[in-house]
Amino acid sequence: MSEPVYRLEGLTKIFDGTLTAVNGVDLTVRPGEKVAVIGPSGAGKTTLFRLLNLTVRQTAGRLWIAGQEIGDLHGARLREMRRKIGTVYQQHNLVPRLRVIHNVLAGHLGTWSLPQALRSLVRPREEDLRAAHRALSQVGIPEKLWARTDELSGGQQQRVAIARVLLQNPEVILADEPVSSVDPTLAHGIVKLLVELCGTFHKTLVMNLHSVDLALAYFPRIIGFRDGQIVFDRSPAEISDDLLTGLYAGRLTAASAEDSPDAVAETVRSCTPLLRPQ
Amino acid sequence: MPLPKPFEAALPSSDHSRFLFPILFGICFAAAFVGSWQLAQIQPGLLFEAEGRRNMGRFITGMFPPDLSLNFLRFLVVPFFETIQISVMGTVLAIAIGFPLSLLGTASLAHTGMLNDLEIAGSPGRRLARTLPYVLARAVMSVFRCIPEFVWAFMFVRAVGLGPFPGVLAIGVSYGGMLGKVYSEILENLEVQPSEALQATGASRWKILVYGMLPQALPQLVSYTLYRWECAVRASAILGFIGAGGLGQQIELSMRMFNFHEVVTLVLILFLLVAAVDFLSARARKAIV
Ligand SMILES: Nc1ncnc2c1ncn2[C@@H]1O[C@H](COP(=O)(O)OP(=O)(O)OP(=O)(O)O)[C@@H](O)[C@H]1O
Ligand SMILES: [Mg+2]
Repeated sequence: MSEPVYRLEGLTKIFDGTLTAVNGVDLTVRPGEKVAVIGPSGAGKTTLFRLLNLTVRQTAGRLWIAGQEIGDLHGARLREMRRKIGTVYQQHNLVPRLRVIHNVLAGHLGTWSLPQALRSLVRPREEDLRAAHRALSQVGIPEKLWARTDELSGGQQQRVAIARVLLQNPEVILADEPVSSVDPTLAHGIVKLLVELCGTFHKTLVMNLHSVDLALAYFPRIIGFRDGQIVFDRSPAEISDDLLTGLYAGRLTAASAEDSPDAVAETVRSCTPLLRPQ
Repeated sequence: MPLPKPFEAALPSSDHSRFLFPILFGICFAAAFVGSWQLAQIQPGLLFEAEGRRNMGRFITGMFPPDLSLNFLRFLVVPFFETIQISVMGTVLAIAIGFPLSLLGTASLAHTGMLNDLEIAGSPGRRLARTLPYVLARAVMSVFRCIPEFVWAFMFVRAVGLGPFPGVLAIGVSYGGMLGKVYSEILENLEVQPSEALQATGASRWKILVYGMLPQALPQLVSYTLYRWECAVRASAILGFIGAGGLGQQIELSMRMFNFHEVVTLVLILFLLVAAVDFLSARARKAIV
């Protein structure tokens, strides 16, 4: 039980031999922890999450999940490990042409056999139907069970994605900017929902956030990430405005050409201590 | 409060080869066009010279009136259905050949990208096991489709004799290659995020395919297959010319006998058939999207 959920030692990802997205990260996450990762755009947060949910292979360094080293894991044992990790993405990660129920039931895809998956697409089993309905009730949109997924709003789709993770029933939930595409009120709602669900079901939660406010409001442990490295790793109380300014510093003067005005505005906002609540 | 100064970031140096290729390609294409115009001996005037006009005139006047006698029409019932059968069976065979090949030949499914990264990283053996079938499938598909159905039909007539069967085989093989190529292109160009998410639940590539990729690609797959069926109807008529049965064989016979009024009836029937298929597939396409 005391085995860490994640243990990272010098974890590094280099794209195309030149672009270092994640640079020698050491990190330990214990069961039941709730961790927020914040940092400027392009810091390598998404790449870190893809390393953590076993989508891309590290270039160097070592990674243990629940005490097992990932190393050369492949085939059925790799897929079994992936089942223990649920991921919620920013957006566009549902199958748009399928009905909501099938997207929710996709949480079972790791355990189903291929014929089971096919049969469920044709006609879901009674118990699966009930499970999907229950999960959708937990995220507050039970009435959308049979709706087509591409007809839902962005916020509703995000709830479907969370319902899918609930069905998957993993040990860890990773959320990569789950609220970047919804309005601020809804953003609070969704982050709160994820934090509470993880509390209720004793899951570990690691969430990547653009909004410093949300991170400070809901998470006991905050990791500042920049240039592929951990800049700080502490509790909200220990996080000063200087620290935040440093994390995002230089964003307005250098290499911002690719950023949209929105992203810049967001950065300005998160660098401005006066706008922070409390 | 003063506004922040405009950004003075250094422009990343552009990769010139990226622009070079389209320009070179454009020049090559223009050169090919000019060369082909001369080599193919294109002389539009020839169509309108006295000799050409007279021949065309004879052909056209010979076509009227079309032969609509009951005797002749009754005689066409069997070839008519033969044409439909050849096109349908040919297309079914093409799907049976093209679909499996397309799965092996879809790079994002077979050996590159996020669905393969962790499997093949650090293991040359597993990399080869995934790359080899891909290369083979690509090669087979391009051989199948680069040889025209006409040539396939010649070979199959030699192999299995005259009749509709060699026509079915010819369409099945050459269209199998085309369907496979286009299917894999469709699958390749799908949004990758839904597949990434399904993989993250622990799903295998097969399950990602049937649960995520095929539902997404279905309208395009069906649409292109129906289009190929239309082409198969026309092709089956042409294949009749070399003894593969159907309406085409009748056209060839009537042409050889200089019975142009029969030819026009046959062409009309063929036209109606293609129009009907076109209409049907348009309806089907609309229903599925
Ligand atoms: N598949 C990839 N191939 C090549 N480079 C990549 C790939 N994925 C990410 N990168 C690069 O890695 C760097 C980090 O990207 P990443 O998406 O991890 O940043 P991020 O912190 O998630 O940014 P954001 O906050 O904008 O989402 C970027 O420079 C990006 O261009
Ligand atoms: Mg990101």
